[in-house]
Amino acid sequence: MQKFGTFLSGMIMPNIAAFIAWGIITALFIADGPFPVGGLGGFGENDAGEPNIGLVGPMIRFMLPLLIAAQGGRMVYGVRGAVVAVVATMGVIVSTDQPMFLGALIMAPLAAWVMKQIDKLWDGKIKPGFEMLVNNFSAGIVAAGLAVAGFFAFGPVVDAVARALGNGVDWLVDNGVLPVASILIEPAKVLFLNNAINHGVLTPLGVQQAAETGQSILFLLEANPGPGLGVLLAYMLFGRGMARSTAPAAAVIHFFGGIHEIYFPFVLMKPILLLGTIAGGMVGIGTLVIFDAGLRAPAAPGSIIAVLAQTPGGSFVGVVLSVVLAAATSFLICSVLLKLDRKRGGDLAEATAEMEAMKGKQSSVAGYLSATEEAVEDELEAAGVVHPEQPRRGPIHRIVFACDAGMGSSAMGASVLRNKIKKAGFTDVDVQNVAIANLTDDVDVIVTHQDLTPRARTMSPSAQHVSVDNFMNSPQYDAIVEELKRTNAQGAPSSR
Amino acid sequence: MSDVLTLSHIKVPGEARSKDEAIREAGQLLVDAGAVSPAYVDAMFEREKSVSTYMGNLLAIPHGTNEAKDAIARSAISVVRYDEPIDWNGNEVRFAVGIAGVENGHLEILGKIAIVFSDTDEVDKLLAARSADELYQLLQAVNED
Repeated sequence: MQKFGTFLSGMIMPNIAAFIAWGIITALFIADGPFPVGGLGGFGENDAGEPNIGLVGPMIRFMLPLLIAAQGGRMVYGVRGAVVAVVATMGVIVSTDQPMFLGALIMAPLAAWVMKQIDKLWDGKIKPGFEMLVNNFSAGIVAAGLAVAGFFAFGPVVDAVARALGNGVDWLVDNGVLPVASILIEPAKVLFLNNAINHGVLTPLGVQQAAETGQSILFLLEANPGPGLGVLLAYMLFGRGMARSTAPAAAVIHFFGGIHEIYFPFVLMKPILLLGTIAGGMVGIGTLVIFDAGLRAPAAPGSIIAVLAQTPGGSFVGVVLSVVLAAATSFLICSVLLKLDRKRGGDLAEATAEMEAMKGKQSSVAGYLSATEEAVEDELEAAGVVHPEQPRRGPIHRIVFACDAGMGSSAMGASVLRNKIKKAGFTDVDVQNVAIANLTDDVDVIVTHQDLTPRARTMSPSAQHVSVDNFMNSPQYDAIVEELKRTNAQGAPSSR
Repeated sequence: MSDVLTLSHIKVPGEARSKDEAIREAGQLLVDAGAVSPAYVDAMFEREKSVSTYMGNLLAIPHGTNEAKDAIARSAISVVRYDEPIDWNGNEVRFAVGIAGVENGHLEILGKIAIVFSDTDEVDKLLAARSADELYQLLQAVNED
């Protein structure tokens, strides 16, 4: 589960900038934005009388899911995986009118994985000189097949999910248990089915109600910016790394620009946060029910400004309270969840980094190899490489050295470690070197210069990372060999 | 192995007294060998600025950037040994190994150099070598294993 979470966030995190770019463009240039431009916002017609396509629609429908697909594919199977994943995801995207994030999150890793398995079938069996031909055609055929399969498999499923969620919300509204609707609305939102729910179900019903009574609560079930704001505020205070630093900008685009989509990836990265948004949504709707508050017309986009503009005088207190309480509830729950998460997964990583920093100092003082066996042993433990009480589960088969160009240091480090491992008698361990930009996430251990380790971590979140400051003679190499003795015992010569 | 590392690429002792001079010296050997254009030497300085090429065990491996690969005509490696330690960002360097690598042609010899330098006994032997020729023989000997 932990690994699944890091994988999701690994797919989404590197693309947050693209979400923000889309959010800015959308907030500014759509028909209801402050600077409506048809050509960008995708409304109205051009000079030739054709409807404007705009940037907003194609970006969310194609660009963002494809970016996620490329990253997901790359994490599973390098650039080759990325190419196959993007093609396959394209089939999924056109299978429905909904933005296809769910499809990208599932199809991309799957497609790259399929490619990897298929490549294994004829690995090493291709006649020299035909590799390019076979590789390109096999990837092309697999990608085409997956795109077609995705088109037929995902379209009906996602449409059915969207319809089912819509019907569910419809039923709940009919039966007057509105707060419960959040259980369906919030997950549907983060899967980018927000418009399907809002414009497909809630808005038509709301318009009817508003025609009869002058206002409708239904306009605010989905458009309340409170729950999303709570998530982003929680990330601002208790998040980590890039998610934390981008959350403030995202909060502005979300709350004042009304582009809710900007917070969806923050939830997708840690799906458990749905608990927070659902609770926030429930509290928000509950408040509206108690105060009998609603909006005159749909608030589009769902910014606090648009919401207040559509609030009739009598509902003002109820609407404001609903937004504030929804945000507070979602913030509190998400904060606790993020903090728990940090304690569980984070402490170890932080501790390791600290140890590594300590180790860096130690070994530069100690100098070259003057350390005795015992000192090396101590250093290893200090470096956090060896956790005697916490052995890793599986054997290690792939170790990769990464450096900037993949030309010098990583090649030398890989040779040294390969030599050490060979001398120790392990035959089932592959040691390679690559440029850091080509790292994939299917590696067991990644060795990098300490300056590059943070970057390597983002490239391959699920691998075990080892930092060195000395490629020729790092004590970490001996630590890795020691660890192999525990994890790969069956690979030792005695049993082979 | 062929012409990636030949005797003419080895200089004992080097004349440089500073890191910058040493990079220039190792680079010039590659230029003289016809392996790289003079622009590659500038890229070696560029590369050195981002992350030090000090490797440990008295060894530094100045080389160009990924973008400078166009300046490489063929893969080559140069070796300079210094009598006095060179200050390489606070580390002592006695060997500067200049690298120009395209299409991984240099990886085999580089790997062997790495293995030699990872063993301090071997490094001592390299330090004790009395001439460029002797140093060359020591490095070549690795190939026999």
